Amino acid sequence: MTWEVVIGLETHVQLSTKTKLFSRASTSFGADPNTNVNLVDCGLPGVLPTVNKEAFYKAIRFGLAINATINQTSHFDRKNYFYPDLPKGYQITQMDRPIVEGGQVEIELEGVHKVINVTRAHLEEDAGKSIHDADPINSLIDLNRAGTPLLEIVSEPEISSAKEAVAYMKALHQLITFLDVSDGNMSQGSMRCDANVSIRKKGDKELGTRTEIKNINSFRFIEKAINFEIKRQIKVLESGEKIVQETRLYDANKDETRPMRTKEFANDYRYFPEPDLLPVVINDDEIAEIKNNFPELPNEKKLRYLNELKLSVNDADILSSTKSLSAVFEKLIENGSDSTLAAKWLVGDISALLNKDQVELENSKLTTELIGELLNNISDNTISGKIAKEVLEECYATGESPNSIIKSKGLKQITDTAELESMLKKIVDDNPEQVAQFQAGKDKLFGYFVGQAMKETKGKGNPEIINKILRELLAK
Amino acid sequence: MDKETVRTICYLSRLSLDEDKAKNIEGDLDVILSMIDELQEIDTSKIEPMFSPLEQTAIVHNDEISSDNKKEAYLSQAPDADSDFFKVPKVVE
Amino acid sequence: MQHKTISELHEMLASKAITPVELVEESLNLAKKYEFLNCFNFINEEKALTQAKNATFDPNNPLSCIPVAHKDLFCTENIQTTCSSKILEGFKPPYTATVVENLESAGCIAIAKTNMDEFAMGSSNETSYFGKVHNPWLKDHVPGGSSGGAAASVASGVVPFATGTDTGGSIRQPAALCNLTGLKPTYGRISRWGMIAFASSLDQAGPLAHNAKDCAIALDAMTGHDHKDTTSLAMEATKTVDSIDDFSSTKTLGVVKEFSGQLSSEMENAFQESIKTYQNLGYKIKEISLPNIKYSVPTYYVIAPAECSSNLSRFDGVRFGHRSEEVKNLEELYIKSRSEGFGNEVKRRILIGTYVLSAGYYDAYYKKAQQVRRLITEDFKNAFQECDLILTPTSPGTTFAFDSKGSKDPTELYLEDLFTIAANLAGIPAISIPQTFVNNLPTGHQLIAPHLNEELILQTAHHFQQDTDWHLKSPSMEDFS
Repeated sequence: MTWEVVIGLETHVQLSTKTKLFSRASTSFGADPNTNVNLVDCGLPGVLPTVNKEAFYKAIRFGLAINATINQTSHFDRKNYFYPDLPKGYQITQMDRPIVEGGQVEIELEGVHKVINVTRAHLEEDAGKSIHDADPINSLIDLNRAGTPLLEIVSEPEISSAKEAVAYMKALHQLITFLDVSDGNMSQGSMRCDANVSIRKKGDKELGTRTEIKNINSFRFIEKAINFEIKRQIKVLESGEKIVQETRLYDANKDETRPMRTKEFANDYRYFPEPDLLPVVINDDEIAEIKNNFPELPNEKKLRYLNELKLSVNDADILSSTKSLSAVFEKLIENGSDSTLAAKWLVGDISALLNKDQVELENSKLTTELIGELLNNISDNTISGKIAKEVLEECYATGESPNSIIKSKGLKQITDTAELESMLKKIVDDNPEQVAQFQAGKDKLFGYFVGQAMKETKGKGNPEIINKILRELLAK
Repeated sequence: MDKETVRTICYLSRLSLDEDKAKNIEGDLDVILSMIDELQEIDTSKIEPMFSPLEQTAIVHNDEISSDNKKEAYLSQAPDADSDFFKVPKVVE
Repeated sequence: MQHKTISELHEMLASKAITPVELVEESLNLAKKYEFLNCFNFINEEKALTQAKNATFDPNNPLSCIPVAHKDLFCTENIQTTCSSKILEGFKPPYTATVVENLESAGCIAIAKTNMDEFAMGSSNETSYFGKVHNPWLKDHVPGGSSGGAAASVASGVVPFATGTDTGGSIRQPAALCNLTGLKPTYGRISRWGMIAFASSLDQAGPLAHNAKDCAIALDAMTGHDHKDTTSLAMEATKTVDSIDDFSSTKTLGVVKEFSGQLSSEMENAFQESIKTYQNLGYKIKEISLPNIKYSVPTYYVIAPAECSSNLSRFDGVRFGHRSEEVKNLEELYIKSRSEGFGNEVKRRILIGTYVLSAGYYDAYYKKAQQVRRLITEDFKNAFQECDLILTPTSPGTTFAFDSKGSKDPTELYLEDLFTIAANLAGIPAISIPQTFVNNLPTGHQLIAPHLNEELILQTAHHFQQDTDWHLKSPSMEDFS
C-alpha cells in the first residue's frame, strides 16, 4: 500500500513592529509580566483599537516578495471565542478580505526545485500567554503578548513530506528575516506553525481526513511531529479504522502527537466585520514607496558578494542565506574589517561553534563588535590565526572581549625578531641530528622545527617570522 | 428554536439559564425571532451590506511606542491575581 | 438652582448671585432630597465639592462651574462605573472617557453617575441591577430608557444637563417622557473612547437638557475628533451655539407617510399641534416617504444584539468585575460569572446576537439586516432631496407604569423605539423636544436631519422653543421629597 501525504501549513509570524497592531504598547520580548499592556490590550470596558500602519507595510512587503495580490482595501473581522488570554473574548483578524492573496514560495530539496502556492496571508492580533505549569491550582495569565501583530500565512495543501515542510518553513524564515518583516526568532516565538496533515492512497483524488497539529515552534519539531503523525495515520488506516478529525499537540519529550482535550461543542467563531475599525486603504503611492525601498534579498546579496567582494561561491552562498550572518558580515565590513577575513571566520570557525550548539548568531554572545575586535587583532598581527581560534572560543563561551582575553591570558603574538632569532638559534643548536637530516634532504623535518618553536613560544610565535628565520638558520 | 439550538447558543455565549427561567427566555427568543423574520420579505440580493454609517477609512497610528499601562490597577481589581499575573482555575489542554 | 437652565445658572454665577460651591452644594442636597427617584448609581460628593472649591468661574465660558451628571457607562477614573449591572458592581476604571474629560476641560463639575437600563438595553430603565428609576412627573412610572437616570436627574432639577447615550433612541425617548430636549448627534461626532460599548456601529453620546440652546452649549463641548477612536469623525468640535438664532423658516419639514396611523388619537393631536406651530412659523410641511422604515425595528434587533453579544464577551470574570465564588474550572468560571452577573434582558440580547451571527444564520440575519440598513439609509438620502428636516413623533405614548410593558412580550418595549431607531441605523442626527402634554404628561416630537446637520436641527428646535413654552414646564416633585 503506497500512501501519499498531503500537508498544508498555517504559519504565524510575529511582525517586527515596535508597537502592537491595535495599540501603541511596546512589543519588546521578555518584559516583566503585564507591563507591555496598554488599556486597549487589556480589553477593558470602553477601549477601542486603532490600526498600526507599519504592520500593513510589512505584510505588503511580504506579499510583493512572493508575487501575491495586494488587496489595497482590506478590513478586519472579529473571531469570537472564550479563552483567558484573549481579553476581549474575540480576536481581531482578517477573515473576509485579507491584505495578501495568492503568491508562491520556492523551495529546494536535495537539488529539486518546487513551488508551493500560498492561499493568503492576513493580519491578526496575537493572544496573551497562559502559563499552566507554574502554579498547582491556577493558570497564570500574562497579557504582554496580547495584541502583537501576526501575519498568518496559509499554504495550499501542496507539501508532500515532512522534509518539504521544513524546507518551506526555512524558505519562509529566510524571506521574513531578509524583508525585515520579522526577526524570525523562533525560540522567542516569532514564528510558529500549525500543520494540517492527511494521507490518502496513491492515485486517490479525494483528500483524506486531516488532523491539525498546533503551535510547533522549531524546524526540528516540525519534521518530527509531521513524521510521527504520518506514521500514526498510516497505522490507523491500515488497521481498518478511521482518522478522527481533531486538533493535536506535539509533545517534544515523548516525540508524539496527542489529541487536545475534546470539547462538547464545536467552536463557531461567528465572524463579522469589526465595527470599531473602518476599512484600511493603501494607496498606489504607498505601494510604490514600499517597492522602491525593498531590502536586498538573498539572491541579490549572493551576486554582490561574488562580483563585488570577490568571495568564493561557498562563502557567498552561506553568508547570503541567513539574515543574521549577512547583517553581521555587512556591518563588519562597514566598520572596516576586511571582507575576505570576515567571510573566512564567519563561514568557518564561528559557524562551526554555532552549529555545534544549534544556536543562532543573534542568540549567542558573539556581537558584531566582539567579532570585529577579534578580526582587528588578527589583521594587525597581534595574534596568529591559531591563537585567534582560542580567543574566539573563549569569547563565544563567556562574552569577554578579545582584547581583554588576549591581555589576561598573555596571548599576544611574539613578533620581536631578535627574541625569536635567539630562541630559534637555541633550538637549532639543541637539535644537531635533525639539522643534519634536514640539510641532507629531509624537507619534512622543517615542520619539526616549527613545532618546537611553537612549543617554546606556546603558540604565540609569529609563524611568518619564524619560518623566515628558520630557513635562514637551516640553510647550509 | 429547538432545544439543541438553545443549548448551543447558550454555550457559545457562556450563559446558563435556570430551569424555571429557561422556558420563559426560550419563549421570548421565539417571539423576537418571529419579529426579525419579517426581514426575509425584502429582496436585498443586489444590495451591499452597510457595516458602519461611516464610509471613511481607518485613521491609523504611527509605529511609535506610547504606553498607558496601569499594571497595578489591572491586577488589584482582578477577582484573582498576584502582583504579576491574573489567575484562573488551571486549564488542561 | 433647581430647574434652571445652563444659561440661567451661568448668569447667576456671573452676577455672583451664587458661588460655584453653593451651586454644587445645592445640587448635592437636591440629589439627597430626591433619593427616592433612584436616578443615581453613585454621587460624587467629595470630588465635586473639592472641584467647586478650587474652581475659578470664567464668565466667557458658558459651562464654567456647571454641574453635570454622567450616564454610568462613561468610564470615570477611580470612580465606580457599572452600566447598572451586577457584573460591573464596584468596578473602577483606571481611565476616563474622552467625553467626560472634554466636559471637565470645559469647566463642568461632575456630580454623579446616573442609573440606566443594564448595559443600555431597554426603554424604561427597568432592567437596572440597582432598581427602577421614577419619572419625576409621575411616581411609579418610567422615565424612559436607557438614559432614564440621566433624564430624571435633569427633569427633577438636580442638574441642568446630563450626558446620555443613544443606540436606538435612548436619549430621545427619555427626553420625550420627561419633558426634556435630548440630542443624538451624527455617528462619529462624539468620541466613544471610554464609553462602554453596547452596539458599536449604533452607539452615540449626547446631551439631555431643558432646551435646544443648552444642548448646543453641551454639544459644542462634547464633540471633536479623538485619535483614540477610529470611528470618530476627522473634524473639529461643532460650533452650534453661535448660529443657533439663525433659524430660517424657509425650511421644509417632511412628515413620514408610513408613520401615520401609529398613534392614539390624543398622541396624534399633540403631534398635529406641533405641525401647526411649525406652519404658523412659516415652515413648509410636506409628506415624504421612507418606504423601508417599517423594517427599522427588526433590522435594529438583529444588528444591536449581534454587536452586543460580542462586545459583552469581555465580561468573563477573569480580569475585572464579578466572578462567581467556588468555581471548579474555567468553564464554570465563565458560565456562572456571566449568568449571575447579567440580567434577563441582557441575556436575551446576547443569545439573539449569538444566534444571528452563528454559522448558517449569518447571511439570513446579520448580513441581511445590514443590507436593509443600507436601504433605510438610502431612503433618508432620497427623502432629504425633498425636505430639509424630517418631523416625527418621538415615542408612541407618554410615560407608563412600572412593570406594565414587556413582561409577557419583550417586543412590546422594543416598539417604544419605533420612531427613533432609524436615525441610529443611518447614523444621522436627531433631537427630541417637548410639545403638547397628553393627560398632563410630557410628550415630544423628533427632528431628524442629514449627516452633520446638528446646526440646522438645533436652530429649528430653538425656533420652536421661542414660540412655545412646553419646555419651560417642570414637575412639582411633591411626591418625591
